[in-house]
Amino acid sequence: MPVLRLPKFGKPVKYAYITGRVRAMKTKLIPREMYQRMLGMEIPEITRYLEETQYKEEIDSIAKDYSGAELVEYATFANLAKTYRKLLRVSIDEPQFLILEYLRRWDIWNIKTILRGKFYGASEEDIMKYLVPAGELDPEFLEGLAKKERVEEVIQAFDGTDYYEALAQYDGKMLSSVENALDKLYYFRMERAVGGTLSVGGGLLLKYVRKEIDVKNLVTLFRMNKAGIEASVIQENLIPGGKLHEELSRMAGQSYNEFVRGLEGYPFWSAISDVVGEGGSVSRIEARLRAYLVRYAWALSNYHPLSILPVLGYIVSKDTEVSNIRKIVRGKEAGLSAELIEEQVVA
Amino acid sequence: MVVEVIVDGGILYGLLAVGAGLATGLAGIGAGVGEQGIGAAVVGVVAEEPGFLGKGLFLMLLPETLIIFGLAVSLILMFAWTPFA
Repeated sequence: MPVLRLPKFGKPVKYAYITGRVRAMKTKLIPREMYQRMLGMEIPEITRYLEETQYKEEIDSIAKDYSGAELVEYATFANLAKTYRKLLRVSIDEPQFLILEYLRRWDIWNIKTILRGKFYGASEEDIMKYLVPAGELDPEFLEGLAKKERVEEVIQAFDGTDYYEALAQYDGKMLSSVENALDKLYYFRMERAVGGTLSVGGGLLLKYVRKEIDVKNLVTLFRMNKAGIEASVIQENLIPGGKLHEELSRMAGQSYNEFVRGLEGYPFWSAISDVVGEGGSVSRIEARLRAYLVRYAWALSNYHPLSILPVLGYIVSKDTEVSNIRKIVRGKEAGLSAELIEEQVVA
Repeated sequence: MVVEVIVDGGILYGLLAVGAGLATGLAGIGAGVGEQGIGAAVVGVVAEEPGFLGKGLFLMLLPETLIIFGLAVSLILMFAWTPFA
């Protein structure tokens, strides 16, 4: 897989079209208060509501094969991939380069899904349903991977690419080390490709991504510190490259109370201060941090209206919307209480 | 002889005409620079929301007013402001 050439210096006006377009697309996202109403609805009602939104086309096209939570899940995934592909299609030059760099996370997601599917012996059809072909790997290539019999064959297909080194860590027993290596590879590649550009756009993308890494590491810390895992194991699982990496890795292995006290004063503290108590669930904290990240992307885009940030804000908001719908529908199907689902919904 | 030409107004009239041309021309270039971003953004929004076309066109035409100022200055220079009258 060739690494893209670095683009020329960016001019803000290059972003005018794509930012205008995503700001119009943002108005079509499901409003925040709708999630509360969806919590009180049954799955068929939610499906009917979604049919009135941008998901109509996908729901209509697969409604004959699926129903209930599965229908909503696959339709939302298909719509997510379509929307992201559209962003790539309608942008040019520097914005396109940066969007693709960011969307490569879906390549990682797809590789992980295929590996996991093969590891647990899932069928090709089942794997295909969970893929989001929004990155560089096209659907045909992914389909070819899903058809392979064993995990080793999938890994072999990446021979000669950047991914191979990470995938080669597979020891035949556990996928977690490979998944972790893939996550690190994604951020490393982005730093290498985007960090080399001298444009303002690339710098802003990295600024946001560093924040994202911090939030991811923070969630890992919350989970692992709460479970009382050893500091060295936690540090291995942290993704390097975040702005607060040094500080966060020092917090690994601390007792939960000490860790929480150490977080006071950070910019994200106000978003989580009321839910970090000893009895609070990590998923609620994760949802709050995710909401903070979405707000951060949009707030930053107000300072740089003609930049990659509004596009990033939209990408993150859309991703959050889809995961919210899936959480609600899956929760309803599993018979979880509305409070338990609400805890996980990012609003 | 040079003094005669200046007094006759030959060169001054020429410079006046150049100034008038620059006033309209530079205003046009400035408006164009302003419009390129607005135009691109409006087309982006209209692609998603066709109903925005009217408002979008209005926003797009705002920088055109700058040309009117430039044109007014040109007309004043050429016809209204006559230092040689």
